[in-house]
Amino acid sequence: MKKVLFAFVAGALALPAQTPTTTPTPRQNAVAPAGGSVDVATQPAAGGGRGRGRGPERPKGPTPHMQDGTVDFSGVWQGGGPIGDIAQGMPKGAVIPMTPAAEKIFKSRQSKDDPEANCLPTGIPRIAPYPWRIVQAPGHVFILFEGNIHSYRQIFVDGRAHKEDPDPTWYGDSIGHYDGDSLVVDTIGFNDKFWFDFAGHPHTEQLHTIEKYTRKDLGTLDVDTTIIDPGAYTKPFDLHFTATLRPKEELMEYICQENQQDAKHMVGFAGLN
Amino acid sequence: MKSRFALVLACSAGLTISALPALAHHSFAAEYDASKPVDLKGTVTKVEWTNPHARFYLDVKDEKGNVTNWNFELASPNVLSRNGWTRHSLKEGDVVEVQGAMAKDGSNLANARTVKLADGRKVFAGSNTDPK
Repeated sequence: MKKVLFAFVAGALALPAQTPTTTPTPRQNAVAPAGGSVDVATQPAAGGGRGRGRGPERPKGPTPHMQDGTVDFSGVWQGGGPIGDIAQGMPKGAVIPMTPAAEKIFKSRQSKDDPEANCLPTGIPRIAPYPWRIVQAPGHVFILFEGNIHSYRQIFVDGRAHKEDPDPTWYGDSIGHYDGDSLVVDTIGFNDKFWFDFAGHPHTEQLHTIEKYTRKDLGTLDVDTTIIDPGAYTKPFDLHFTATLRPKEELMEYICQENQQDAKHMVGFAGLN
Repeated sequence: MKSRFALVLACSAGLTISALPALAHHSFAAEYDASKPVDLKGTVTKVEWTNPHARFYLDVKDEKGNVTNWNFELASPNVLSRNGWTRHSLKEGDVVEVQGAMAKDGSNLANARTVKLADGRKVFAGSNTDPK
């Protein structure tokens, strides 16, 4: 018998639930194997019955352009950066060129101290597992994040240079320009507080990122990021991730600090989790 | 047959479900132990429709009649909403059965994977994975 025929029956919850009239049955009071068949998918991104572990289908179509010929990057996207480990954006077997000092920090980090787990921003290139929106305006590109945290990036595409000696911040000082069908974003002025991923890859205030956003078709946004940080990495290295357009989605409020209970229960070294 | 029933139920409800990945803002493996599954039935005592995770609390009675209150973590309300839940889907007094993974620190905390309602409907519940 097929274990999983339909991804989410969760929607059925919107219907009035049957009101229980009986006393709860003391079925099990301890940890027990959760075997047996499961009526629904145990993987999250399987909406619309498209199968276990697969997300909504990527919209198909040509790359859209604005009236002036610039690629239209606007829309709600998901993905496009590391979540668990930056190595996921590197060729298989590639070595992350950490300096000895960075490696020492990396190996000492505890998951409970992950800024994202504590409802602080992801910084760059890390992305939270929530949708985000690109808004293009004259002279600016804005990235609005649903989560983590409910914040934004502003990228100046009006030809200005970086600020001189910017204060270190979570998202840094970003300037951009259009290069053919790509948007190139150069960012400096980072603080050293955020982590690159759940694993805890570190960086310093010397971090300099160059992101290249390429909307290669309607539903696909390639995000290629060069990491330059001589304080933590012996040489620049590149990450490649892909974001997917979510045309039916709107951003929703997400105030992470509202009821954060996770960090105090997290155990172990980040790199091992 | 159970699965087919679930499929028929969902389809007959005419639901359009737009599922999004339900990963969390933290490492699942840092907080929960997938090798320690938990399967509990009890009465919902409180529901928190809050970020970064919705939660519900469940009174579970053992064979001796002792009651333990469990804290079950769900996905964020945003993810749940995108998958068909509403803030009314679970309410105090509901009798449910939950499968999930226990917290690594040994507290009465678990990540809910599926919730089975009193009427037999079994629903996906949470952020039960880390990115691969």
